[in-house]
Amino acid sequence: MVDQSIAGPVEVVANASEGDRSGRARIVNLLLCLGLAAAMLLSLTSGASDASAVSVLKGWLLGAIPSDVALSGRDSLIIYDIRLPRIILGMLVGAALAVSGAVMQGLFRNPLADPGLIGVSAGSSLGAVAIIVLGTSVLAPLMTLLGTLALPLAAFFGGLASTLALYQVATRRGQTSVATMLLAGIALAALAMALTGILIFMADDRQLRDLMFWSLGSLGGATWATIGSVGPIIILALAAMPFLARGLNALALGEATAGHLGIPVQRLKYTAIICVSAAVGASVAVSGGIGFVGIVVPHLLRLLIGPDNRYLLPASALLGASLLLLADAVARTVVAPAELPIGIVTAIAGAPFFLWILLRKRGVIDL
Amino acid sequence: MIEARDVSVDISGKRIVGGVDFDARPGEVAAIVGPNGSGKTTFLKALSGELAYTGRVALNGRNLSSMKPAERAVHRAVLPQATTLSFPFTVREVVKLGLVGGRSGALPGQDARLPERALARVDLEGFAGRFYQALSGGEQQRVQLARVLCQVWAPMLDGKPRYLFLDEPVSSLDIKHQLIIMNIARDFARRGGGVVAILHDLNLTAMYADRIFVMHRGRLAATGSPQDVLSDDLIEKVFDCRLRVGVLPAGDMPFVLPQSAVY
Repeated sequence: MVDQSIAGPVEVVANASEGDRSGRARIVNLLLCLGLAAAMLLSLTSGASDASAVSVLKGWLLGAIPSDVALSGRDSLIIYDIRLPRIILGMLVGAALAVSGAVMQGLFRNPLADPGLIGVSAGSSLGAVAIIVLGTSVLAPLMTLLGTLALPLAAFFGGLASTLALYQVATRRGQTSVATMLLAGIALAALAMALTGILIFMADDRQLRDLMFWSLGSLGGATWATIGSVGPIIILALAAMPFLARGLNALALGEATAGHLGIPVQRLKYTAIICVSAAVGASVAVSGGIGFVGIVVPHLLRLLIGPDNRYLLPASALLGASLLLLADAVARTVVAPAELPIGIVTAIAGAPFFLWILLRKRGVIDL
Repeated sequence: MIEARDVSVDISGKRIVGGVDFDARPGEVAAIVGPNGSGKTTFLKALSGELAYTGRVALNGRNLSSMKPAERAVHRAVLPQATTLSFPFTVREVVKLGLVGGRSGALPGQDARLPERALARVDLEGFAGRFYQALSGGEQQRVQLARVLCQVWAPMLDGKPRYLFLDEPVSSLDIKHQLIIMNIARDFARRGGGVVAILHDLNLTAMYADRIFVMHRGRLAATGSPQDVLSDDLIEKVFDCRLRVGVLPAGDMPFVLPQSAVY
């Protein structure tokens, strides 16, 4: 009797797709597309004004025909110049924040990395506040040179500086320490906030009111002009990030192993940092501090479809966009005719969720 | 063919590997042995392009340091001592990462089935749907080997040999799986590839290695066939331990050698 068990290749293979979650991931992405369409519709039809669902839908369908007078002038204004740019901006910002969260988590090899938590947003805020406060004095030449791009660019460089600093501090020989990352993030955020504080101290009354509303997070500033200035940056960053997906997957095995598999790790890391800084910077520039989207969305999706970034990144974009539209709809309706800053809505929903993640993972996350 | 000449590695100003000459030939299993801290892993990391080195390393005739990561990945796959995973991937998803470079060398259209075939070879059939992080250390090590096998599934590609770099591939395995893994390595060499393995078990080394490189304090202490290298003197000098080669235990003390395996 010959024992085959240690003789080497015995190839009897069963159950082809066991452990393969790509089919489910595709279906989830498809459903998320439908979900986003529903969220857009809801967002378009809700708000302080009584521009009703029916008239909005009519306007949506008939508005393209110039001769038709389906909408009153007021409703038309509300829909095309207020709600529609706000929806587009909300989708861009939601997608940018969620995908940036997913990419940062892949880069730091840690599910707790989030632009808001580890100081990237604070760096972007510092850049943005510098423009708001100093744009009429010290930085005036920059303003005339860059125009409406000055704000998103300043936020981008602020975010880039803090991300690079964080990466240098938290990563040694390809290993990122979670404790160092979170603590360094706290320190960087504190530093950025202190510098922001100095700027706020210098601000005049009008600037203060702008800053106050902006820092709580809001899509209220959405116009076609703001979309024109930050839209291209966000869209460019969003379009680049799917190309990082395979590399980020390999990075889950560690930097050395990703390199062995043929991934140019240094280039991957710096591309990821630049994309995240651009997306977060542009988002912060127009909407202020909207937190927790970047951690909640990828985490939920990983539970559903697994951590494969080829599916996780597009799904994060779709769910992030949808959730931000819903949060904005809530922000616009709960205290109508006034509106709540959307950052408050995402924090009220997101902070308990974050605590729940920590409870579930207690013991797994080794600080 | 892998040719390393006068390879030295310094880490934080300290010389870890000094002046090592090393050859790995297609068709052969080259074993690197030596005591803990003798520089084996550091040397293998230099050979895989992970650490900066001085000296010269040629991989299939090309200067290693001028090759891009993607080019190196075509010629060799690396199994590290231990791999931690940062997200809850399934076993199949981990193994499939071996195909990320896209040059497995399997017949066209067969890549989709490679994870299952690789898992079957390391005796992990039916594990594809399990979560990697829930497996035992030995099982994780075999999953990683399956991933590495996917990367260089064909031992030869475009007429050139490919290499498996294995850092202590059997360190946490039971005896059955030690034999399975070493048989995979020998089979890879017999089909035209080359294997470089760091091993600690001298009996397994004698059984499977065509050539042994003995490292001691960062330098090469001896090179040659198992018959030439494994001597009482060398073992005493390198491992600082007085042992005698080929001596049976006294009396009725049982002993089990891998060489006695019956297939």
